Amino acid sequence: MIEFQSVSKQYSHDAYALREVSLNIAKGELVYLAGPSGAGKSTLMKMVAAVERPSSGVVTVNGQDIGRIKKAGIPFLRRNLGLIFQHQRLLNDRSILGNVMLPLLVTGAPKAQAEGRARAALDKVGLLDRAKAMPLELSGGEQQRVAVARAIVNRPQIILADEPTANLDRAAADRVLDALRAFHAAGVTCVISTHDDQVLESASARVIRLEHGQLMGGAV
Amino acid sequence: MSPWIRQHRFALGGALSTVRKSPGSFLFNVLVVAFALMLPFAGITLLDNVRPLSEQLSVDPEISLFMKQEATREEANAIAPQIRQIVAGGGKANIGFVPREQALASLKDKSGLSDVLDTLGDNPLPDSYVLKLEGFARGGAAGDVDAMVAQLRALPGVDTVQIDSAWVKRLAALLNILRLALLLLALTLGIVVIAVVFNTIRLQVLTQKEEIAVSKLLGATDNFIHRPFYYTGALLGLCAGGVALGAVTLALSPLNAAIAEFARLYASEFQLAPLGGLEIAGLLAISAGLGLIGAMLSVQRHLARVR
Repeated sequence: MIEFQSVSKQYSHDAYALREVSLNIAKGELVYLAGPSGAGKSTLMKMVAAVERPSSGVVTVNGQDIGRIKKAGIPFLRRNLGLIFQHQRLLNDRSILGNVMLPLLVTGAPKAQAEGRARAALDKVGLLDRAKAMPLELSGGEQQRVAVARAIVNRPQIILADEPTANLDRAAADRVLDALRAFHAAGVTCVISTHDDQVLESASARVIRLEHGQLMGGAV
Repeated sequence: MSPWIRQHRFALGGALSTVRKSPGSFLFNVLVVAFALMLPFAGITLLDNVRPLSEQLSVDPEISLFMKQEATREEANAIAPQIRQIVAGGGKANIGFVPREQALASLKDKSGLSDVLDTLGDNPLPDSYVLKLEGFARGGAAGDVDAMVAQLRALPGVDTVQIDSAWVKRLAALLNILRLALLLLALTLGIVVIAVVFNTIRLQVLTQKEEIAVSKLLGATDNFIHRPFYYTGALLGLCAGGVALGAVTLALSPLNAAIAEFARLYASEFQLAPLGGLEIAGLLAISAGLGLIGAMLSVQRHLARVR
């Protein structure tokens, strides 16, 4: 489902974000990306979402070559992805229901249908009763669960969660991870990046380690 | 509802929501654009009123040839072939003889001074010819007309030769200059409108930078992101056009009061009329179009930078 073949990302002459990375992530797999800040985890995720393109090598997502994908095709690739960011990136000018409806509205879904599915997604993360609340009225953990609801509302094939538990206390982090594991159990491919050792210790899934843009232990 | 209509409805809703969020700022921008549009709209209204007036008047030279008071009817009739010969070189001409009796009757009829004229006893008006020279206005034959007038003046029994339509030509030339000046003014102010809308949309893009970036990451197409800005620009132009047209129409009332007083001195009932429905629709469409162009340029320029 996700394949990296000798992928490098170079921002300047001697600044590599990724160097000769090769890996495969199968459909329905749960994978943790581990490594310290600056290891290249976010760059790797950005390539899967076609936010960045490789300087060399081939990145394939759902059979599409990210290096060659046309600009007009990128939105349609992203509609099959659920993105969760470290800082949630919720829009503060609308309710959390409005935030969760957004991925459906951008696809041209009817408003009533979008609202129904957004409510169902909020229900799954336990926040349906806060549907009318504004993002700033929620705690950090609740905001991250809204971000999870927004990521799963369009029923993506892949969820990419970039440091979803950073800045959260243990209980809030566990609730977010439980939600992600539940979607994986339902057959969604999940890639979760973290530098939280506690998360990795409890992980019963493959862990891919990155350091200075390189895979520790070679191709996986 | 088709997805296409739904997307446009959503974009229009987005544009209206932006207006609702900052109505003061939108109103201010509408006023700035309206001020820029008012001057060309006022000029168009004025030209639209004056054009029919100038079109009714012939710009072909019309020469009036007056015989001497003492010249007899026979003398007047005798120079007709010579007149025909002189004007034949200048193209097509319509030559009409106006006997002094007919001239007096016409004067009595048009001036309403028949009682005063009756007291004169003898008819003070001479026999005359009216020569309408068709095609001279287009031919640029002003020199020919002057030469012709000199020849006509030399005919026996002729007292005065007068070119009557020179002022109409001048008016037509003046209107052409005004029309060109108005076009240049409209072009300049059109650029001002585009610049104002460009800047308004630029500020909006900056305000909504995060929303745009998140929408892109969630799978929004460029069209989905651009459309609300296009609608905002067109809406801004449309509202400004409406305000400008309203202001020009309102200004006609006090202007017409002043014009009526002036026109009465010339026994005229000339009034400035507001533009017709079709012209108003056209100007509103142009205003909305200018707003749309400003928005499109701004969106193309600034959205590419938002990631």
